Amino acid sequence: MSAPRLGAPRLDLPLGRDASGRFLPWIIALMVYLAGLGGIALLLLGGMLGEWDRALAGSLTVQVPADTSAARLEVITALLRQTPGVVEARLLDGAATAKLVEPWLGPSVAVERLPLPRLFDVRIDPSAAVDLAGLRRKLASVAPEAQLDDHRLALLRLRGFAVELQRLIVAGMGVVAGLLVLTVVFTARTGLAVHQPVIELLHLLGAPDRYIARQFQRHALWLGLRGGLIGAAAAAVTVIVLGRAGSGLDLPLPVAAGGAFDWRRWGLLVLAAAAAGLVAMVTARLTILRRLARML
Amino acid sequence: MGGSGPEAGVVVRLENIGKRYGSGAEVLHDVTLTLDPGGFYFLTGVSGAGKTTLLKLIYLGERPSRGIVTLFDTDTATADRATQTALRRRIGIVFQDFRLIEHLSVRDNVALPLRIAGAPEREIRENVPELLGWLGLGDKADLRPNTLSGGEQQRVAIARAIVRRPDLLLADEPTGNVDDEIAMLLVRVFERINRLGTTVMIATHDVAFARQFEHERFHLEQGVVTPVTDGYPQ
Repeated sequence: MSAPRLGAPRLDLPLGRDASGRFLPWIIALMVYLAGLGGIALLLLGGMLGEWDRALAGSLTVQVPADTSAARLEVITALLRQTPGVVEARLLDGAATAKLVEPWLGPSVAVERLPLPRLFDVRIDPSAAVDLAGLRRKLASVAPEAQLDDHRLALLRLRGFAVELQRLIVAGMGVVAGLLVLTVVFTARTGLAVHQPVIELLHLLGAPDRYIARQFQRHALWLGLRGGLIGAAAAAVTVIVLGRAGSGLDLPLPVAAGGAFDWRRWGLLVLAAAAAGLVAMVTARLTILRRLARML
Repeated sequence: MGGSGPEAGVVVRLENIGKRYGSGAEVLHDVTLTLDPGGFYFLTGVSGAGKTTLLKLIYLGERPSRGIVTLFDTDTATADRATQTALRRRIGIVFQDFRLIEHLSVRDNVALPLRIAGAPEREIRENVPELLGWLGLGDKADLRPNTLSGGEQQRVAIARAIVRRPDLLLADEPTGNVDDEIAMLLVRVFERINRLGTTVMIATHDVAFARQFEHERFHLEQGVVTPVTDGYPQ
């Protein structure tokens, strides 16, 4: 038998010489790359949704004009802390407020000179039902310019967008998986046609259909895993590069969140590579068995 | 090896077989013949007479247009796919064009029927070199078929056909590409296999060559098979 490529299965059919052996791994690599990035995006979006949900349930912001007096700020702090359901109410200092606007204005802008409003970060008990309407009335009585923001509207919009994005990614991954199946079906059928004489010979030597199908499925598994690992490696490099770029710019980008050592990301990529091999193998087996059943 | 060995009934029975390809004329008409266990037969006829088609019907490479093919007492028309596979495993075939797999070595070509049957590698390592040595191919085991001469390829094809010691051996023009001396040697090889209990049928266009042996003969002419009785005991 000819020396097979390193790691390639030993086959009676010369499937390793087919053109499919050259292009299929790269097609699968591209699909795994897209699916892997999609999966990681799903993970990140899921994490963000969780954070937003917790934020919806657990925080409020009270904003007052920059020139509000210290005495009035103390009154507001006291009012907030006395409100049932409020766990903590904290007045952000100038540095903390500046940090919040820095991503939009940049570090070079002297934010301390800007008339930034004063902000209260209010933590509430997620299980408690805070009377927001009553709190607004009380705040208006001590500070008419005060604005109570429960982030609900903005977060609900963001949440809706994120959920739509998730659906879109899942649909995209479904399309990628479908394309993978179609590609393997086409490749297996082509292989069947190309190697028809040897397949007929194997049949005449007493090979059952599953013996011949096994040749195709082992070849497909090998190509699928090869392509899958290439795609997963490329996706990992992309995530690392994007993560570094995101953290370097200090942008609140999802890809920068979670850290490079989130094992779920790398696990997902390995899973995507393994799934590509498995899908290719099962698809090839079923395609070949169906076709062989029609032969003599 | 070998499987269950020939059973009491007939090995092959063809009854009123007709065969046509597509809408063409019939190449075989009302063929009726029986091959008994342990028999040795020649099938003679000029090139194009339909010898290969007849062998194909026996090794289940083709289906008859009409008539009944019975192999090892099994009606092949009603046999399911698994049964047909099991029947094929009891048959060794030497194809006219050898049909060796080019990317496999001589050793792996010969080992193919054993691997298909799920034989352990140990058995393959023991039996295949022995058989290759017996057929004078001991030093060719690692070569590819396309590096061998026609006669050597033919012996590889024979080795592959007999490696599982089949119950029925069909050889299509096995002496067509070799000189008389080698042809005689090949027939002696088939006779040795036959003495082990394998039923043998050799198809050849060379009637004079077949006449040299005291074996039963069928002659195929214009699609009709007739037994030949020209002086040798039948």
